[in-house]
Amino acid sequence: MGSIEFVEMILNGVALFAAAGGIFALGFLSLGLTRIDRGASGAGVWFRLLIVPGLVALWPLMLIRWIVGGQPHGD
Amino acid sequence: MAATYKPVIWNRHKRIYDLALVSGIALYLTVFVGVGMAMPDSANTSIEILLISALGACAFFMIHVVLAIGPLARLSTKFLPLLYNRRHVGVALFLVALSHGAYATIWYHGFGVLNPIVSLFVSNPRYDAINAFPFESLGVAALAILFLLASTSHDFWLNNLSPAVWKTLHMLIYPAYGAMVMHVLLGAASGHGGSPLYVWATAGGFALISGLHIAAALVQTSRDRAVTKQKDGDWIDAGPFADIPEKRARIVAIGGTSIAIFRYDGKLSAISNFCAHQMGPLGEGCLIDGLVTCPWHGWQYDPATGRSPAPYTEKVETFAVRIKDGHVFVNAIPNAKGTPVAPTMIG
Repeated sequence: MGSIEFVEMILNGVALFAAAGGIFALGFLSLGLTRIDRGASGAGVWFRLLIVPGLVALWPLMLIRWIVGGQPHGD
Repeated sequence: MAATYKPVIWNRHKRIYDLALVSGIALYLTVFVGVGMAMPDSANTSIEILLISALGACAFFMIHVVLAIGPLARLSTKFLPLLYNRRHVGVALFLVALSHGAYATIWYHGFGVLNPIVSLFVSNPRYDAINAFPFESLGVAALAILFLLASTSHDFWLNNLSPAVWKTLHMLIYPAYGAMVMHVLLGAASGHGGSPLYVWATAGGFALISGLHIAAALVQTSRDRAVTKQKDGDWIDAGPFADIPEKRARIVAIGGTSIAIFRYDGKLSAISNFCAHQMGPLGEGCLIDGLVTCPWHGWQYDPATGRSPAPYTEKVETFAVRIKDGHVFVNAIPNAKGTPVAPTMIG
């Protein structure tokens, strides 16, 4: 495998991870956010948009937290 | 400290802070490009290249500011207002660094047949040569870390990753700094980044940051040692209570535990010295309206319960306190977070 193919493979992997994170973010913001964090109840659209980049980057961690059922904020 | 998350909890201080931040960045870029255009050899460059250099230099300067604020605030409380909104500097740092990286990638790799990002990584494979090292890859690594830090800077992430994990994650600012230093030095070695001035400025910045961190650590160690720590079972002698100023605390460090003993209204109470928010030093704060107030971001706690006032729900550990022969003793065994402890009356 040449260096160009190798770099393209890595970039495709990053793009795939980010796309999965984007899909996760949509679902999480719709269904999971207020379940794992009481502080997000009533939070506006700008707050939700603000955490999207982090969700895309850390979606496996947040998926685990969503599945195991995180404690609400502050408890 | 908010019952419901907001993108930014704006107040006058934050507006002034951000206005100064944006103005400072704009001024830096303008002066850099202006001076560059006025130099005798300006005919050999272009405004685009100057702007790329200006953005990179600005980002490099800003990471020094970010790294200097913490130790400066430890050395003198005069710098605490800078610490209060440091995360905005961090996000701005990422945006400036991103602008530098994106503009440089388009300028140097955007006009060929290859995908510009692929070109960025494959156009120079000489990882074995110091004077031709593909320093761009180090910039990409630093940018990736800065993205992670900027995207998790909101309190939502602090609460959901846990303060310990969040703090550990944000310690990645140091590897990012290391990658930026090498990006600049290897860039200069390979003929990019202009004059030897970059190398000297980088060395000076590194010495400054290292010196500030060492000085802050020495001062903290000195403060910890200043308190006598005679033990009586689990009780630690924290020295004469008369020396603790009203509405202030004495900090006692025992192993990995740090306890803040507050004196207020003829009473003494002890709570953890670590704020639930970003582990800020509660003992360096004071009581405002009867509540211990963290000097970093203003989170508050009742000194007798370790609990934030309603509707907030944050809690820290509490400790038992007693007085003997004019000295205050604190029990080193922490109570569960938010456990009420009756204040010890003085006299």
